[in-house]
Amino acid sequence: MEKLSGYAFIAAMFSTGLATIFYVAYAVSGLRAARMQTAGVPMTTTVTGFTSGPRTAAIGRYATMLGWLAVFALLASLVFRTIATGHGPFANMYEFSAAFAFGILLAYMWFERRYHQRILALIALPVAFAMMFYATTIPADIEPLVPALQNNLLLTVHVAVAIVAYGSFAIAFAASVLYLAQLFIAWVGNRPEPGGWGLPRLDVLDDIGYRAVIVGFPFLTLTIILGAIWANTAWGTYWSWDPKETASLVTWFIYGSYLHARVMRGWRGKRAAMLLVLGFAATLFTYFGNLFFGGLHSYSGLG
Amino acid sequence: MTEEVQTRPLPPTGAPAAAAAGPTPMDRVDRLLEGLWHFLTSMRVAMLLMLAIAALGVLGTLIIQAPPGILGDVEAKASWLDEIRPKYGNWTGFLDTLQLFQIFNSLLFRVLVAALTISLIACSIHRIPGIWRTTTKPRVDVGPAFFGHAPQHEAIVVRHTPAETQAIVENVLRGRRYRTLSSDDGAIHIYADRNRWAPWAGLIAHMSVVVILLGAIAGTLWGYRDSQFTIAEGATLPVAGEPGLTIKLIDFTDKYDTKTGAPIDYASQVVLYKDGQQVDSHTIRVNDPLHYGDTTFYQAFFGAAAMMTVKDAAGNTLVSEGVPLAWRTTADNRPIGSFSIPGSDYVGWVIGTLGNGDTTVKPGQMKVELYKAADGTPVASQVMDQGVATTLGDYTVTFERESQFTGLNIARDPGVMLVWLGSFLLFGGFVIRFTIHHKRVWGRIVPRPSGGAVLGMATLATRDVSQATDFENLVTDIRAALQAPAQS
Ligand code: HEM
Repeated sequence: MEKLSGYAFIAAMFSTGLATIFYVAYAVSGLRAARMQTAGVPMTTTVTGFTSGPRTAAIGRYATMLGWLAVFALLASLVFRTIATGHGPFANMYEFSAAFAFGILLAYMWFERRYHQRILALIALPVAFAMMFYATTIPADIEPLVPALQNNLLLTVHVAVAIVAYGSFAIAFAASVLYLAQLFIAWVGNRPEPGGWGLPRLDVLDDIGYRAVIVGFPFLTLTIILGAIWANTAWGTYWSWDPKETASLVTWFIYGSYLHARVMRGWRGKRAAMLLVLGFAATLFTYFGNLFFGGLHSYSGLG
Repeated sequence: MTEEVQTRPLPPTGAPAAAAAGPTPMDRVDRLLEGLWHFLTSMRVAMLLMLAIAALGVLGTLIIQAPPGILGDVEAKASWLDEIRPKYGNWTGFLDTLQLFQIFNSLLFRVLVAALTISLIACSIHRIPGIWRTTTKPRVDVGPAFFGHAPQHEAIVVRHTPAETQAIVENVLRGRRYRTLSSDDGAIHIYADRNRWAPWAGLIAHMSVVVILLGAIAGTLWGYRDSQFTIAEGATLPVAGEPGLTIKLIDFTDKYDTKTGAPIDYASQVVLYKDGQQVDSHTIRVNDPLHYGDTTFYQAFFGAAAMMTVKDAAGNTLVSEGVPLAWRTTADNRPIGSFSIPGSDYVGWVIGTLGNGDTTVKPGQMKVELYKAADGTPVASQVMDQGVATTLGDYTVTFERESQFTGLNIARDPGVMLVWLGSFLLFGGFVIRFTIHHKRVWGRIVPRPSGGAVLGMATLATRDVSQATDFENLVTDIRAALQAPAQS
């Protein structure tokens, strides 16, 4: 089972890499189509702003298929590993990195189905790929659980919920990067109106960011609550300002600010998008925090 | 709730503007209070407070934080600061002055959390009347301009009479599980909504943050915690927070993985007595604490103990107990523990070995030191071999054998239920807030002089960037119903 999980993981990584290449090809082809359209050749532009010719659409379909393949391969890898270890993917950084990558891939595919914005993949998939690559660089041995982690159900739910939150935040991050990139390009090029090049419209990106956060925020809330319940049964304190707890609370406050910013004059749009970038930075900080700060969570990995 | 603070409010009902008059001192106080209220209910302020707390949190993860309790004790604090000095060098004193080693107890942090809490309460109070009105007394007549300016609006010319139109529209709305209200003043006004209680969910979620904080405060005010409770195998000790309660450690076991040496189990088998009667027994493990009444016993740490017996000159046994070597000597980091001799003015310290290569206290030996309890004057000191009765001052002391002690965290937290209640409401509140929306539509039917009527429909919900909104679907349905051949 452990071997099988390893093979599925490699398949997932391979599909993710290949899918990324196809998504890049799709974006380049879309860009060319947008240019041709400007030159007068008839092309279809969707309501949400993306322009495509027939070739573009075909490449896009392959990219999507590869993306789903990656999702299922990684899911298989996680399931096999769960069977092999007898617990959810929370015991070490390898397991959690693979699960994080799965969360990003799944969230991306879900948003692609809903919004048809394949451009988001240019940001989201490399992040997922980097997570998997990182997983290959750290020990993947199956070891018995230390006593504190022997709370199978609670911790499995805790990570499962965290993964949904992190995956959603990665999508919000991708959307906000594309949002800010368009503002930046317009600013550098001194153009009055951002947008074009077949990139998604700003209001679409803003909406995707918001949709991702209203999934991620409650899930992050639940992650923190479940963590507190676990800490209370294991240690007798539900909150001890352990660095990992603190970092997740910081993340929670940043996304909380974002949800306010989005309805405030002067904070909508650009600044809200910047908060999403900051929020994802905090997410990664929470995640990689184990590596450079000690604390209760430090034994659950390399620390 | 979105609707309450949207930049596109319903047209005002025409609140009379305050009459201008010369400012009186009372006015100034009023204005001050008003300004304060405005500050506390401002979302901008709330957001900046959150970001400021987040910034402090980042510092709190990057800078080493002192273990709880240490900074209140001058000596412990000095030695702790010395310990971390290699890392922070000359900055140590400065960081300490700024309270950065105890960020979550610092004045700044407390002020920010207090401000956010007050703001949360103020905000919630501020929002209640509006939400109450939208839930119970919605405005049915919103004026004609609304039907031209609302984020989504439609005008439909119909051949039916106003009354027929109203019946058809209301029928479609009820079919979509809207409740409808109407009034008639020549024009017919229709208001319809769904999920009208949903806006309370956001409010409850906000208030639940206050509930969690109350739980935390209750815990610190009325809770009891001893996270350093040590007890050796075979010993029976009183539980400080619970009069009459004693706990006995039967056995402590630690198990390790044979391959990797990683710990796999810590288990303390204990018995609880209330006024001498056994009331409970349990094997406490990490993740499996013992609950007794409001008090909970958690597995926290463990270590070596020494079984000691002390006899007086007459041969009476004064002490026969396990002494947990739970502390470390400052000089050379040896395990150390203490015991008292009942009916005497002495305390004993038992000092353990550093392991192989230690020539002062060899493995299998203990060093025992006797002091006057009152002033700490050393009386006698002796390194002794296991099982050998040794004379120490007026006593005969024997180090019988090594055993183990367990370290428990004993806690009674009356706030914890509030914390869980608040957490539940927080999560549930946000989930409801983000999944169930208070949907509102307004309709206005005006008769046309030439027969038939004009139906205006409008909502405050914004257009969706990628799919048809409920409003658009609703209008489609209404159009279809209006065009259907009249049933007679
Ligand atoms: C711990 C502090 C806070 C957190 C985590 C928080 C979180 C949130 C979240 C997630 C939302 C979006 C969901 C909803 O509309 O209910 C929201 C909205 C809102 N918050 Fe807060 N909030 C906090 C404090 C405050 C404070 C102090 C105020 C008062 C100034 C406030 C005022 C509002 C308002 C008026 C909305 C509705 C915005 C809208 O959607 O139109 N919040 N908050």
